[in-house]
Amino acid sequence: MGRRGSASSSSSLESSNYPALSSRSSLYQHNRDLSTDLRLGLSIATSSQGNPSTPSVSESDWPPIKPFLKETLAAEENECNSATFFVKVYMEGIPIGRKLDLLAHDGYHNLIRTLDHMFNTTIIWAEMDGEHSEQYHVLTYEDKEGDWLMVGDVPWEMFLSSVRRLKITRADI
Amino acid sequence: MLRMARSLPEEVLEHVFSFIHSDKDRNAISMVCKSWYEIERWCRRRIFVGNCYAVNPSMVIRRFPEVRSVELKGKPHFADFNLVPDGWGGYVYPWIAAMANAYPWLEEISLKRMVVTDETLELIAKSFKNFKVLVLSSCEGFSTDGLAAIAANCRNLRQLDLRESEVDDPSGHWLSHFPDSFTSLVSLNISCLGSEVNFSALEHLVGRCPNLRTLRLNRAVPLDRLANILRRAPQLVELGAGTYSAELRPDVFSSIAGAFSGCKELKSLSGFWDVVPGYLPAIYPICSSLTSLNLSYATIQSPDLVKLVSQCQSLQRLWVLDYIEDIGLEALAAFCKDLQELRVFPSEPFALEPNVSLTEQGLVSVSEGCLKLHSVLYFCRQMTNDALVTIARNCPKMTRFRLCIIEPRTSDYITLQPLDDGFGAIVEHCKDLRRLSLSGLLTDRVFEYIGTHAKKLEMLSVAFAGDSDLGLHHVLYGCENLRKLEIRDCPFGDKALLANAAKLETMRSLWMSSCSVSFGACKLLGQKMPRLNIEVIDERGPPDSRPESCPVEKLYIYRTLAGPRFDMPGFVWTMDEDSALRFS
Repeated sequence: MGRRGSASSSSSLESSNYPALSSRSSLYQHNRDLSTDLRLGLSIATSSQGNPSTPSVSESDWPPIKPFLKETLAAEENECNSATFFVKVYMEGIPIGRKLDLLAHDGYHNLIRTLDHMFNTTIIWAEMDGEHSEQYHVLTYEDKEGDWLMVGDVPWEMFLSSVRRLKITRADI
Repeated sequence: MLRMARSLPEEVLEHVFSFIHSDKDRNAISMVCKSWYEIERWCRRRIFVGNCYAVNPSMVIRRFPEVRSVELKGKPHFADFNLVPDGWGGYVYPWIAAMANAYPWLEEISLKRMVVTDETLELIAKSFKNFKVLVLSSCEGFSTDGLAAIAANCRNLRQLDLRESEVDDPSGHWLSHFPDSFTSLVSLNISCLGSEVNFSALEHLVGRCPNLRTLRLNRAVPLDRLANILRRAPQLVELGAGTYSAELRPDVFSSIAGAFSGCKELKSLSGFWDVVPGYLPAIYPICSSLTSLNLSYATIQSPDLVKLVSQCQSLQRLWVLDYIEDIGLEALAAFCKDLQELRVFPSEPFALEPNVSLTEQGLVSVSEGCLKLHSVLYFCRQMTNDALVTIARNCPKMTRFRLCIIEPRTSDYITLQPLDDGFGAIVEHCKDLRRLSLSGLLTDRVFEYIGTHAKKLEMLSVAFAGDSDLGLHHVLYGCENLRKLEIRDCPFGDKALLANAAKLETMRSLWMSSCSVSFGACKLLGQKMPRLNIEVIDERGPPDSRPESCPVEKLYIYRTLAGPRFDMPGFVWTMDEDSALRFS
């Protein structure tokens, strides 16, 4: 490490060609004012806005935690704050399933109403009474064991804990 | 002396050298004389390249023709926190292509923060007949198709470790590509995979590999599957559980508990997503032999954590969320006297107010109770100089100290002073400190302490700290063993950098983002320092479209024998001898 000790010309480069730092002090002032914004947790626009000394802190790069942990924590938080439970709903004849948040409904009636609208049909389920219209569909669900059951036979909460996905098929009688 | 060296046959020297494993020692041996250099280079079997752009593959292959194990690192550390834009580089394919020709007997490849493609994995799978170990740490760019190729072709595979890598479009069927005749697996880490693996393929694989010691499952493996897997691998030493949640049922509980007690060799646990506390007692029987516990994904509250850690008397490493709180850390200090490493992560990193009662006191307690503590990563919301001084005095053997006070520029909350003196005490008392991360309100003074005392420091991470170039100068001038320096959002500019330009050749790399280094200074460095790559990373467009005095967005400087690289994306410019001409 002999090189480091002496201040030889090769170890230090004169920056006399470049402007003194004083012109930058006004930019530092700007930094300090922006630190208040930081404390308020506001995310500050990145330096693409033109001010190169703007501290660019956004949720994606501070505090320094790895993406895998961040994702896990975000998922936990979503579960606690705005609980959602999305399941796919497949309509017979349509290969792409639609996603539906079951927790956005408080019971079967609500769910059926949403599905009727979503798929523009009338759905038959366990509690359906009396008259059927000409074109109707049957709603079934796949449970944790992989069995397909008629929707509506068990209490709503039990349904929520075992449902994996929903299927709407034409009922031909 | 010279005559003696000549009189020892090469085979003898080679045999002696085979007991020397550390790179530092091997490098020293190779410099004794020309013949030792020659003998050593032919028998070096392991290569570590800390920066894949510091040297090119053909140079490595030319010097070391008989390598069996290669470790490469790509992107700078701050890439972990999204500071390095996508596409910056770190492509491993050129290395693998070169090694496929030169090292047909290659057995081990370890990559960190590199871009790996399916094409790369397929090339690995078909090029190395005796391939045994693949470790992909924080890598990206590949899918389960690439993994399927590895599974299908690597007959002697011992270790497949995907730690924290981003795997595209995962499908579970790649596991079925391990042929039925494949039984050599010792270590499998798939904890980062997003979707389900085929459970029966997994169970069958685990069941037919009698030497399996490490199994880290992903979140998609539910609790009821875990018992089956454990029963097929009671010899496991390290386990990463998947989701640790299910409806509380006595039959499921006794199944899990029975499976765990059958694993008499378990020393390390991780995973534990979505923990249902009622199932925690299932692991109590094995707690006393645990040496490593990673609960960073486990949202267990402090009473349950206390019950758990107080049974882990052999614990050496604990990674945990701040749900443990000060009270849990006191229990840790009381019961886990062998603790060497502690990491506490924030459960709500973006919340403005604390959501748990975790303060500086927790860390102080651990420093008082755990005399072997030498490695710390601690996220918290408040700190005092007194606490840091106490910790420093309690742990003179500290080697890694990383403190992250979540709010930038937070002062000592009691005295309202900067935390210079606290960190000063750390570097003064902890003479073996190799890694340090700073946070809180810090002036140039902390850097003076660091430059004066941190003589063994190899890696320093700085954010939102310092007042002027003097701070950076103290570090570059004083830290004799500094290898990696990473800085963000500090008022450091041209002066310190230019005054210490030669220092940069003694380091692996320097990262500076959101600082005040001007484009002009970058150009000057590029002109004068041919053995450094000066990379300006700027997503605002070409740096010469702005005045020379304008600070660059991000700067990455690293020493290299390979010259400027040619795989840079549009937002990265290398300053070299010609850049002054090109940009004028």
